[in-house]
Amino acid sequence: MQYLIQLLISGLAIGAIYGLIAMGFAVIYKSTGLVNFAQGEMTMITAYIAWTISTTVSGNVFIVAIGAILAAVVLGLVIERLVMRPMLGEPVFATVMVTIGLAVILRSAINFVWDAYPHALDIGMGRGIVHLGGIGLRTGQIAVIVTLLALLAAIWAFFRYSKVGVAMRAVASDDRTALLMGISATKVHALAWAASSVIAGIGGVFFALSYDLSPAMFQLGLKAFPATILGGLDAVLGSGLGGLLIGITESLAGGYLSSGMKEVAGFAMIIVVLMVRPFGIFGERDIERV
Amino acid sequence: MIRHLAAAALLLSTACLAIGPAAAADPGITDTEILIGDVEPLTGPPALLGVAASIGHKIAIAEANAAGGINGRKIKYVLEDDGYVTARTIQGVKKVIDVDKAFAMIGISGSGQSIAVMPLLEKSGIPTVIDVGPVKPLWEPPRKNVFVVGQSYEEGIVDLVNFLADKNPGKKWGLITQDDDYGVAVHDGFDSVVKAKKLNVVYSGNYKKGQQDFSSDMLQLKESGAEVFLAGGIIAENIAMMKEIEKLGIKPVTGIFWPGRVEPVLKLMGPAGDGIYAVDYVEPFAGAAGKAFLEKAKPLVSEAEFKGINRYTMTGYAAARVLIAAIERCGKQPTWACTISELEKTRNVETGVMAPISFGPGVRFSNQKLQIMQADTATLSFKPVN
Repeated sequence: MQYLIQLLISGLAIGAIYGLIAMGFAVIYKSTGLVNFAQGEMTMITAYIAWTISTTVSGNVFIVAIGAILAAVVLGLVIERLVMRPMLGEPVFATVMVTIGLAVILRSAINFVWDAYPHALDIGMGRGIVHLGGIGLRTGQIAVIVTLLALLAAIWAFFRYSKVGVAMRAVASDDRTALLMGISATKVHALAWAASSVIAGIGGVFFALSYDLSPAMFQLGLKAFPATILGGLDAVLGSGLGGLLIGITESLAGGYLSSGMKEVAGFAMIIVVLMVRPFGIFGERDIERV
Repeated sequence: MIRHLAAAALLLSTACLAIGPAAAADPGITDTEILIGDVEPLTGPPALLGVAASIGHKIAIAEANAAGGINGRKIKYVLEDDGYVTARTIQGVKKVIDVDKAFAMIGISGSGQSIAVMPLLEKSGIPTVIDVGPVKPLWEPPRKNVFVVGQSYEEGIVDLVNFLADKNPGKKWGLITQDDDYGVAVHDGFDSVVKAKKLNVVYSGNYKKGQQDFSSDMLQLKESGAEVFLAGGIIAENIAMMKEIEKLGIKPVTGIFWPGRVEPVLKLMGPAGDGIYAVDYVEPFAGAAGKAFLEKAKPLVSEAEFKGINRYTMTGYAAARVLIAAIERCGKQPTWACTISELEKTRNVETGVMAPISFGPGVRFSNQKLQIMQADTATLSFKPVN
């Protein structure tokens, strides 16, 4: 039984990281209708910036957190303004290809700006081990699960009650009508990129805390993407929960089947789910007038 | 008269054809320079080995140039990035040979990439010394112009497992390997000792390349009760595994392989990495030879490059030294044929970073002597134990 519980907890911990990054995918898709294939790389860049702050400015957790969030906002805004906004109105395929190109550039930037060595993000917390009922956990793993749950609640409230959140939903629903209502679609897009960068960046920083920073971190995006598909590409909260499901599935597959199965279990799961619900577990059924 | 002229022309053209390949200067060599080419992963995670190996080549070249070059010719080094993508390695090698027109090649990315460019190297005939990923297909069958400095992955694993088996008789064993050619080589080496020594293997895992979370894998290892563990990851994978082991509160005797034997790994593993065993054929930096190498390297590379030095810098340095020495022995007019012949005559060349290097007629693999080392977290270093 303890084996099962340990697997579930480990799955939740890594799943929470997938969930945060998956929410980043969904925020952009919901607001712009675009799948950002550079999400994993943006996650990695934010984590590397957090590490740079911790090693050059201060290792204080608040300074690192505020610095990393600001850096993520700037990263998201710069990408939106310089790379994505000029693509407005262009075919979706071309825009998606731009995000793929961006991914390659950001990935290579790691070696040019930093190096290829793994690094530890040390901010004085998150790396300690606690034992709950004989089960070992790093404090960073507990923190990421709590953070995901808190963010899920905050984002639900943001979209439900805040003016900006409602504006974002309006643009996602019908950008032309939203424009006629006085909502600036470009501002909403910029906000979506910034928010997506911050949410996914938080996932990256927690990953670096619990594991390590390395140039292979961008692959988290590849793991989080199935979580978005599973939860629903347009469902921000669903994507977060999808991450947890993928994490648990991987962990159970790795623990009860084989290590090799771990990496394919999440993808096998989305194939099955999409056959039943093509729009994801929490996604909205897309109805088009033909 | 016409008949005499025609005969003379025929003789002249025959003579030209006969001496052509030998007399015409081989590519990459001028009166003042010799060009050596290389293709390495300079971006992406494997840059850890590609950048370090290229720094080793640069150190050897800078050292030779500081001493006047090769018989008065300065060595120029051209380096291409393949990002560890085989198609790009092939492109890079083609560029170095056909466009840059290098005189010789060195390094060449990872093991899979080197295997992929082997037909190209063989066809071109360019003298080549490979030093990054030594695997059997690179020297079996031997190619006339391709030489490999290092030791085979299988042999390294056999040495390490034998050592750990002798030190831990009757213990239960666990192994995890990567799902690629590197992992297969590690598994094959391990299996050969398992059969010979009848080891009790209670856990055998195989992870997908790029995997970052090893929680369930290490939990399986714990459940199996393994007391001796062979961590078949490279860098980040071994760190992740050791940290999971620490989290689970177990401490098996652990062995790692040379691709992961770089000092920064110990810092990242923290206390979990203390006492782990590693096998390698290059000297540890904590030893006298390692320290001497660092002293030598310091003035020859930039500060950033100095920070990027690891064991692959030593393999790169040794290979470059062997190549430079062979070209040098060819005198004032080195050719490909002479360089290959001199490489073949390489006998007990001392590089200071590994055992003396030798090749021979039909022998294209230097078969370096191995040593077992143990990690010391306090000094963040590996120290020889045998």
